[in-house]
Parts: sequence; C-alpha cells; structure tokens
Amino acid sequence: MCRASRPAGRCLGCALLIVATASALQAQTPTTFIVDSPTMATGEMMPRDYSPDGRNVSPPLTWRGLPAGTRQLAVICQDHGAGNPPPWVHWIIYNIPGSASGLPEGIPFDSSDPMPAGLAGAAQGNNGWGLSMYRGPAPPGESLHHYHFAVFALDTELDLPPGLTRAELFEAIEGHVIGQGDMTPHYRRHPATDDRTP
Amino acid sequence: MADESPGRPRISRRDLLKTAGAAGAAALIPGAAAAEEASVAGTTAAALPPATVAPSGPLMNLTAREAEILSAMVDRLIPSDDMGPGALEAGALRFIDRMLSEAEADSVSAYRSGLAALDHYSRYSRGAPFVELSGRDKDSVLIDVQLGGATGAGAGFQGSSGSFFNMVKSHTWQGTFGDPSYGGNVNFIGWDILGYPGVRMRVSAEDQRLMEAGQLPPARRSAYEYGQFQMSGEED
Repeated sequence: MCRASRPAGRCLGCALLIVATASALQAQTPTTFIVDSPTMATGEMMPRDYSPDGRNVSPPLTWRGLPAGTRQLAVICQDHGAGNPPPWVHWIIYNIPGSASGLPEGIPFDSSDPMPAGLAGAAQGNNGWGLSMYRGPAPPGESLHHYHFAVFALDTELDLPPGLTRAELFEAIEGHVIGQGDMTPHYRRHPATDDRTP
Repeated sequence: MADESPGRPRISRRDLLKTAGAAGAAALIPGAAAAEEASVAGTTAAALPPATVAPSGPLMNLTAREAEILSAMVDRLIPSDDMGPGALEAGALRFIDRMLSEAEADSVSAYRSGLAALDHYSRYSRGAPFVELSGRDKDSVLIDVQLGGATGAGAGFQGSSGSFFNMVKSHTWQGTFGDPSYGGNVNFIGWDILGYPGVRMRVSAEDQRLMEAGQLPPARRSAYEYGQFQMSGEED
C-alpha cells in the first residue's frame, strides 16, 4: 500500500506494478468453463457402471463456454486421495478436436476399435495401471473417494502419441492451456446387499 | 482416429507375443549343446501335419462347468484369430487340468474358488455368466480381475483377483508355449505363434541366414527327443 507521505510518482509506479502483475496472473490463469454430464454431477455418487461394480465404461461428459480460440481438448480423471504419490490416474484422453462438445459414454478400451464420430484423432494415455484406457473407481472397503474430471482447452492442435502419462501430457500442453473446467463426483463401492447376482 | 494415423502402426496381441516370447522360447536352447545333433536341420514344415484342435478327453480335475469358464478365459488370453489358432487349440486347457494333479496340485482350490468368483463377478458387474458375455465384455471383466477391481464388496473374489488372473495367465502361457512333452503346445501351435524355429542343437551359417530372412523351416521336435535332455524323474 502507498502511504500519503510517499512521492506521488512512487505510488503510481506501485499501482502500475500491481496492474501488470494482475495482468500477468490473468494470462497464466485459464478461463473457467462448464463441464457437465448427463449421468454424473459434482458431489454426487457416480453410477456403478463407471466402476468395476458395473460395466466399467467411461462416463459421458459435456462442456460448454469454451474460451475463444480453443483448438483441442484433453481430459484427465484422477483421485487425489489415492496413489503414492497422489493422484491415482483413472483416465487420460487427449487430441480431442476443439469442435467436440463432449465425450460419449464408453470410449473404446481396445485401441483397435474406432473412436466415436467427431473424435477422430483422439488418443488415450496411460492410467495408473499403465493401461491406455478408462478404468473406474474401486476405493478400498467402504471408503468414499472423489474423482476429479479435469478438462483442458488448448490453443493449438497437438498430435500426441497414445500412451502418455499424466506428467508427459502436462509437459506437452504446457503453455497451451487457455481454459479449464472440472467436475468431481464421488464413489463408494456398493455393499454385497446390492449384488446383481440372481 | 489415432490408430489409423500414418506412422502409428497397430500392434496386435499376437505381435506382442512374438516379441515377448521369442526370447523366452529361445532360452530353451542350451548353448553348450550347440555342437551336437544336427539331425533336425533337414526337417521341413511341409512334412508335418497341419495344426489341429487339441484332442479332447476326460477332465482329470476340473468339473465340466469349471472347464467351461476356464476355457472361455483361456480363449481370451490368447485367442485364435485370422492369423491362426490360439491357446485353446494349443491344448492349454487340458494342460492346466492335467497339471492340477501333478506339479500344481496345490492350486486346485485356487482354481475352484477363482473360477467360481470369476463367474460371480461377471454376473455381479455385467449381469450375465462369464461364458455368455461378448468377447469385448469378457476382456473388460478380465482387465478388472487383473487389476484387482473384482475383489471385495460382494464382487466375488475374497483374496486378490489379480493373483488369480496371474496364476491362470502363467499356466496358459506354459500350456501354449512350453515344450510339448508337458502336454500343451499341441502340434507346436505356440511356437508357431511366436515364430520360434524350434529346438536345435546346431545352427549352421545357412540356418542363420534363413532364420534372419524368416525362411528357416521350424524344427518340430521336443527338447526331450534329444538324447541329452531328460525330464525330471527320468534319470539313468
């Protein structure tokens, strides 16, 4: 803060510095956009079909309000309450065209199966098990874990190879993230009383 | 789609097996014996019977239901495809069944409980018995079993589902790629999958050249057909 006794020029310099710092921070902070899902919501339980208690297929995601200039997107699903060190990565998918408005349920786990329409070029990275596919939550016992789906809007079209780790993806998109949206549903394994077995 | 992009050739499961298995299978050739026995050098694939389905017979240990589930699992681990037969045709199921009353007799209970748990987990998570699932769904179930996701919370496995998966995978590999004298690798199907040219006691320069060109006819002989090898318990 500038004191009244200080020269006016010094106060002006101080103000300019604050403005410049704020602008720089703004440039480094991605625009926030909305990430949603027709079947999940932040703070709510994920359906069991997105876990090994069910079909273990990837959940559908939608997004809107992407920043202008979005050319491509990347998605990570991670559990900050697991892993050594955390987070445990459940899913990575990138090279998603900027024209996509979301991901449908059930992205193929077999790389020989084609990606859904509108996702040409999308590739999956290695999760915590070292597999390039979605594998859903299976928290130990009856503990409740939170699953952070982070969607990154990029200002460029990268042609990244399949199988990148989280760290490799972050390195590849460094300097290109112009927006980020998130949702964080949670999951607890269903007890035996919920067994589907006839 | 990424897999169709130029410069990103697709690698099939069979290709991976060839890469991973060739070194292991090659280790069956004892270097010290390389100077002996050249009798197999002239063997040609054309003179050998074509690969056929493994002969059937009575199950020694598994029940019919257990064999049905195990058969479906083994078939997904090394499936037959348009490039040739897989683990079932190589006799891996019969190999495992027989082995359960021999070297792996201690594993009988692990197979019984594991196969029951696999089927339970399939019904629990996918709503149908394992054998009735599509190939893709069987694969998805087996990935969950491998990663431990089928353990606990009524899913089926009381212990680690990954341990069961690794046990079956290991035995399937043995029954497919091991020496035929142990009851698997029927008609050398496993060695053909790997592109393994077979046990040889001597490799000439010409053999080496043909092998590097992928033209060396396989020597379809068990190591125990050579005089210097004996199975355990067959000592003079």
